[in-house]
Amino acid sequence: METFVQSVVSGVLTGSLYAMIGVGLTVVFGVMRIINLAHGDLVMLGMFGAFWAHALLRIDPFVSIVLWVPLMFLAGMLIYRFLLKPIIPGGELNTLLYTAGLSLLIANIALFAWTGDYRTIKLRYGLTPLRPFGIAVPIPLAIAFLLAIIITACLYLFLARTDPGRAIRATSQNPEAAALMGIDVDRISMLTFGLGSALAGAAGVLLAPSLYLYPTVGELLVAKCFVIVVLGGLGSVSGAIAGGILLGLVESLGAVYISVAYKDTIGFVIFLLVLLFRPSGLFGVGRT
Amino acid sequence: MNRTAAVLALLLLVLAPPLVASNQFLLHLGITVLLWTLLGAAWNMLGGFAGQVSFGHATFFGVGAYTTLILYLKAGLAPWYGMVLGGLAAVLVSLPIGLICFRLRGPYFSLSTLAVAEIVRLVALNWEALTNGPVGLLITTLPRVALSGRTINWESKLPFYYIIAVLALGAMLATYWLTRARLGAYLLAIREDEDAAESIGIATVRAKVLTLALSAFFAGLGGGFYGLYYRYVDPDAVFPIALSVEMVFIAVVGGLATVTGPVIGAIFLTSIGETFRERFLVGHLIFYGLFMMLVIRYLPEGIWGGARRAWAGRR
Repeated sequence: METFVQSVVSGVLTGSLYAMIGVGLTVVFGVMRIINLAHGDLVMLGMFGAFWAHALLRIDPFVSIVLWVPLMFLAGMLIYRFLLKPIIPGGELNTLLYTAGLSLLIANIALFAWTGDYRTIKLRYGLTPLRPFGIAVPIPLAIAFLLAIIITACLYLFLARTDPGRAIRATSQNPEAAALMGIDVDRISMLTFGLGSALAGAAGVLLAPSLYLYPTVGELLVAKCFVIVVLGGLGSVSGAIAGGILLGLVESLGAVYISVAYKDTIGFVIFLLVLLFRPSGLFGVGRT
Repeated sequence: MNRTAAVLALLLLVLAPPLVASNQFLLHLGITVLLWTLLGAAWNMLGGFAGQVSFGHATFFGVGAYTTLILYLKAGLAPWYGMVLGGLAAVLVSLPIGLICFRLRGPYFSLSTLAVAEIVRLVALNWEALTNGPVGLLITTLPRVALSGRTINWESKLPFYYIIAVLALGAMLATYWLTRARLGAYLLAIREDEDAAESIGIATVRAKVLTLALSAFFAGLGGGFYGLYYRYVDPDAVFPIALSVEMVFIAVVGGLATVTGPVIGAIFLTSIGETFRERFLVGHLIFYGLFMMLVIRYLPEGIWGGARRAWAGRR
């Protein structure tokens, strides 16, 4: 029983961060119909941002987030404006290949600059976990979890209550109709890509103290985020949140009750099954 | 122009190795270029002609490599037979994958191939009885072969050069056949508009599964050759996503749905990549990413496609 609770807790903690990465990917897909294969590499940039801020300037990773989120937002808008925008008319497959190129470029520049060494961020409060009710909760992961909830909630409110948020949702439902209603779809796309990148960067910063850092970590993360967004339905924000938590749970329970070696396989098998039989996602809210 | 290029390429294949045989790096570069030509051409059959972007071709490469080495180590079968059987094993693996993944279209197909490739990689990593897990498989010696009375020296790179040259040429011939055959025309119809292709009576799924099998065969041969040349395979070497992605890049940068495109792509990207790797060890894929982005933006037909158009425009 204790093992079960323990793995549910760690599944939800990791899942909240997965959810944040997935939300970024799914918002971008919703508005632009771009499957951004470079999303994982943006997370990687966030991780290394946190690492260098900590290593060089002694800034706590969770504090450095106030620096990296605006920077990643700006970077995302620039990537959209100068790199992606000219490609989008070429069709979905071209943009897919293009973002694959972008992903390889970012990962390999990072590899060149920082080598392939595995790095970790050592925090003083990361050594002994909290033990509420006998369950081990690593403090950095707990802080990351809380911040992830706050950030995701803010995003949710932004999308639901503000004018730009409504414009994003409108564009996501129907770009032509949104344009006819006077929404500047191009500006909304730029804003959305900035948001998606900022979310990826923030998730990277939050994950950094709990994972090994290396330049090609994005490859692993991007595969996981596709599992998440397809589980929840491509284009659906609440679906991505649920999908993220679900994948976190599947992984941690799978590792305990099925096999540690095959825990990642379970995610991919579910992914294939959902893609084949419920292409609009488990909750039927995404777009096929 | 096609014929001139073909003759030139053939001459280069036969004449180049003795000229550079003293320089191990150049010979190795030649072998690498030809291996990537083979893989790029294999991917091109499905990705270029049928427009089905697979991000999972490393699966077939890996299956070919493992089959060759396992048959040699456990059954004592000479690796050249093993290589062909590796290609056939890749064909067998491709059939269920095709039947599953071809139910999806466009980017969804691409994502599903990525997932399948990751599943296969994880299985290879964990099925220790068969694959020896993360440790990988190693062969120390290759069997003695005598060709017209002379024993082939496997310590030299020259015989490998000729083997891979024949394989790459085979893949190019198969691609040439596709440009002429009915199947190739079906594939182009599928690429342009799958519903329309189906409505005029093309069995689209069958055409795609057949092409995937052909493509998998050559990718499997490439994997078998890799096992033979490096005498070592492990899951991270033959099943990674990066390998699948590199095949895509070679074909796209060279020129989709052309016979010569993958050669150009392989020569261009591999020489830049390997030279960079010699000097800096890591990050040699920077240029792959960069050229991919440049080509999609400015030369959507690839280097060869663009060159051919410029040539046609001048005449």
